[in-house]
Amino acid sequence: MSWGGIVQRFFGTKGSKDEAKGRLQIVLAYDRLGLSADQMEALRKDIMETISRHVAIDTDRVKIDFLQQHPAAVMIEAPVRPRRSGAEEVKPAKESKSETKREEKQEAADMPPHATNG
Amino acid sequence: MGGRAIVITSGKGGVGKTTTTANIGLGLARHDQKVALVDADIGLRNLDIIMGLENRIVYHLVDVVRGRCQVRQALVKDKRFPQLAMLPASQVDQKEAITPDEMKALIGQLKEDFDFVLIDCPAGIEQGFRNAVAGAEEAIVITTPDVSPVRDADRVIGLLQSSLGEPQLIINRMSTDMVKRGDMLNQQDVLDILAVRLLGIVPEDEEVVVAGNRGSPVVLNEQSRSGKAFDRIVRRILGEDVPIPELNGHGGIMHRLGKLFFRR
Repeated sequence: MSWGGIVQRFFGTKGSKDEAKGRLQIVLAYDRLGLSADQMEALRKDIMETISRHVAIDTDRVKIDFLQQHPAAVMIEAPVRPRRSGAEEVKPAKESKSETKREEKQEAADMPPHATNG
Repeated sequence: MGGRAIVITSGKGGVGKTTTTANIGLGLARHDQKVALVDADIGLRNLDIIMGLENRIVYHLVDVVRGRCQVRQALVKDKRFPQLAMLPASQVDQKEAITPDEMKALIGQLKEDFDFVLIDCPAGIEQGFRNAVAGAEEAIVITTPDVSPVRDADRVIGLLQSSLGEPQLIINRMSTDMVKRGDMLNQQDVLDILAVRLLGIVPEDEEVVVAGNRGSPVVLNEQSRSGKAFDRIVRRILGEDVPIPELNGHGGIMHRLGKLFFRR
């Protein structure tokens, strides 16, 4: 073990490079698309409108993600409201516009961040 | 049949473009290649002082493009290797003094006489960058393992992919100690993020500063770690299959003390 590793173990600290990598991957996803925050918001609105025309979605929970790959891909998560009125549970629907990662992402999407329902 | 024109670029300033250009140029010359170095950083001439050739300049790049002299009059011959020459940048003009087409013509002319034409690109992605890239058919992107140079390198790689194809990457100033502590992006991290081919890694080395002070690029110092790294890069450019060593075993004093006490 390196000296640095020992110091880390002793003080329970973690190197900063993972943070650097994570932050870079997010910022580059946006850079590569060449979209500003305003343009992102416009994209989000358009997507919500389009989907809403066909199915009722929970607009507060629409999420847009960018997949780290070449070429970059967009993943949209739009939870659909169930047709039976009164039901509280919201079932997420996925619209993945990815060329290769579709299957993988689908798995991850099966475990959405559940809203606490009492 | 002409030589290979390679642009050395980074987006971010201060990551070692000029140092790398000088070292690869001298390294190639030492392997008996005819090399022309072109300082495309118009207005901020620097390659001359790194090469130790600052007192020999008569004409510069803009003089050649404007027809005020012949290319061979402006080329400064290296004092160590006669097959190496440098075309200095103008110190009085702006980047807009020349166009990409003029640059392309100039590089084309140099390619007739040299095996390699290395173009030292200015920082940024504006006109100076477009000029420097115009005459090249290969590109080397330099980055250090820090967040802003890596971000800028990604931008430049994107721009190059649309014009030149896939560039190769050099990671400069890698600190073994910081990588071991987990406080610096390592080789794999940088490659995960940028997804390009790695040409080489140059370790952080005080000898580079000394070499700059003396105008004697570090590749000439065969004892230095960075000099050896540059020589490996040169041999890879020449097509030799030289493995990229993982940086380790050269820790600082704290690391060595740790080894002493903890026996590993």
